Amino acid sequence: MATAGKVIKCKAAVAWEPNKPLVIEEIEVAPPQKDEIRVKVVATGLCHTDLYHLFEGKEGFPTVLGHEGAGVVESVGPGVTEFKPGDKVIPLCASQCNECRFCKSSKTNLCEKSWSTNPCPTMAGPVTRFSCHGQPVLQFACTSTFSEYTVMNKIDLAKIHDDAQLDRVCLLACGVSTGYGAAINSAKVQPGSVCAVFGLGAVGLAAVMGCKSAGASRIIAVDINEEKFEKAKIFGATDFVNPKAHKKPISDVLIEMTDGGVDYSLECVGNVELMRSALESCVKGWGVSVIVGYTDLHDFAARPIQLIAGRTWTGSLLGGYKMKDDVPKLVLDHIAGRIKLDEFVTHTMNLEQINDAIELMKSGKCIRTIINMSK
Amino acid sequence: MATAGKVIKCKAAVAWEPNKPLVIEEIEVAPPQKNEIRIKVAASGMCHSDLYYLFEAKNSAGFPIVLGHEGAGVVESVGPGVTEFKPGDKVIPLGAYRCGECRLCKNPETNMCEKCWSNIESAQMSSSDTRFSCRGKPVLQFVGTSTFSEYTVLNQIAVTKIHPDARLDRVCLFACSFCTGYGAAVNTAKVQPGSVCAVFGMGAVGLAAVMGCKSAGASRIIAVDINEEKFEKAKIFGATDFVNPKAHQKPISEVLIEMTNGGVDYSLECVGDVTVMRSALESVVKGWGVAVIVGWNNVEDVSTRPVQLIAGRTLKGSMFGGYIGKESIPKLVLDHMAGRLNLDEFVTHTVKMDKINDVVELMKKGKCIRAIINISK
Repeated sequence: MATAGKVIKCKAAVAWEPNKPLVIEEIEVAPPQKDEIRVKVVATGLCHTDLYHLFEGKEGFPTVLGHEGAGVVESVGPGVTEFKPGDKVIPLCASQCNECRFCKSSKTNLCEKSWSTNPCPTMAGPVTRFSCHGQPVLQFACTSTFSEYTVMNKIDLAKIHDDAQLDRVCLLACGVSTGYGAAINSAKVQPGSVCAVFGLGAVGLAAVMGCKSAGASRIIAVDINEEKFEKAKIFGATDFVNPKAHKKPISDVLIEMTDGGVDYSLECVGNVELMRSALESCVKGWGVSVIVGYTDLHDFAARPIQLIAGRTWTGSLLGGYKMKDDVPKLVLDHIAGRIKLDEFVTHTMNLEQINDAIELMKSGKCIRTIINMSK
Repeated sequence: MATAGKVIKCKAAVAWEPNKPLVIEEIEVAPPQKNEIRIKVAASGMCHSDLYYLFEAKNSAGFPIVLGHEGAGVVESVGPGVTEFKPGDKVIPLGAYRCGECRLCKNPETNMCEKCWSNIESAQMSSSDTRFSCRGKPVLQFVGTSTFSEYTVLNQIAVTKIHPDARLDRVCLFACSFCTGYGAAVNTAKVQPGSVCAVFGMGAVGLAAVMGCKSAGASRIIAVDINEEKFEKAKIFGATDFVNPKAHQKPISEVLIEMTNGGVDYSLECVGDVTVMRSALESVVKGWGVAVIVGWNNVEDVSTRPVQLIAGRTLKGSMFGGYIGKESIPKLVLDHMAGRLNLDEFVTHTVKMDKINDVVELMKKGKCIRAIINISK
């Protein structure tokens, strides 16, 4: 391409400081260095974790948010043989180097090289290819899909099928994979089992979809906003509970509904009180509770006897998927109709409307807004 | 027996109120009712859970009570409807039993039971229905067992029959500490060959957990205790490394993470302290580490950051080592008889029941592993 090897000036939504609206700026995106690929971002979702950093983060600014995108390779750096210009790709917010002991283990999708493996208050990698008004601008989650162009390391990029619909499969970069995989890989929901999903945002709905795909006989959708129940039903939920409609604690309600508790619960909100309720809603003996929603601000807690009674508490990152290997397979699942993505999309906007998209998300009035990046 | 069908007056160590020494009293033990068995207790260990109830549980309404749940004895008489047991059978009373009818009992993958649990998790950890009285007052039977009494009465679902040649003053340890610790490693954590383990707390339960990790083929077993006198015995049970948290400035989890290139594969908390439980979780490696809470605590919360679990650590707990007592204890007794399981190393003291408060003091100071209390003559 004509732009190969050169700095690209393009539009991006820059977060200059915490708690402020994003600003559409012209930024400079440097060419890819060794093992890097520059990607033209075609479409991106907005995920709650972008908001988490914007509103709860203290360090890690200025940054370009967005980590749920899909695009096309613009150019590659030296040493890159796996990708070529024109390839459809999904930038990955977690790495898969295939060399470290985590990548070599089938038990986990962590990677020693990933920015997220060690505590990282900036929520960005150590290097950036972005600058704006002469200042370096961080690449959030090493992705930064609220930019028309971004630069990824090859361990952070998945090549996907040419028939992929980019303004849908971008959701597999985070929200849908996170929820769907939490049910299938992390909880390992079994056929005939009874599940509860707390929180019916995109991640929760994807978890419902995952429970259904795994053959659950009952999927109880829990949310304080009853408007979310309709969509939960479309994804396969069989029961619907609003905790605020009950005097008793939600765990007591669920225990009563299920003769002692659910087999699997998934917390898809990121609230530590809810995490406790999700654990306590599980049946003794074999119940498994999976923390999916991300937060690092507060402790969560429970009485030790909850665990001694046989419940298991675990967590899930990006649905337990080894992203470089598994995202392309999930794309094929979408192409084949095995995974729904349209039903997640409630709004479509362009990059200039990004702050509207943020407000919509804060108000709980959307599931996923797809932002079309390019003209 | 001459006592069949009658109330038995016998000696028991009664806990009249929290935080006070046990008192050797004459108590009345009613005859077994339908489906019940009266047992002459031969020997009992004292377990930290007995002390937890006496000193930490802060439930003054759950007294008077006869503690002790790690006993073994002989059937004295059976109530109507009992066909499985007869006078003279050697038996072990079970604090953790299964009713066979509830949803939990119908699942063979767990050893839990709704009925048993509802008593154990109650503030008095025991049923209100008791066969004991003393000076006209009902006295609770701790977790239904009460082995600090010359006689006790249990429902037959909570009793397991063992080989007539079993050595009662050793196999009593299968009633609690051995199974709790050993099973936590082999059944709950499911320690794998070649793995790296950390066991927090070198009491009887922790030592049994060390034994379980070794039996499961762990390549390294790190024994953690603030009392370095415990390390010698931990080594006998198979521990390979020994860490005293008080000897380090850094938090124990950081020490263990450094020693093990990122954290252990399995950790077992065998103390019952929520701060230690947090450390035990934070000591396991990301990605696949499993921490098992073995020590009993229902007075405080265990807490940590969600990212600990999101990063792939798993927190579990273990009740009675995951063993189904009625099925497993008879087999473990055979293992002991055949020399495959050594229980002698747990026994540091042997006393008669009148010295029971000395044992309480020894336990509080960490000066014994297991004191076997010879209950009956």
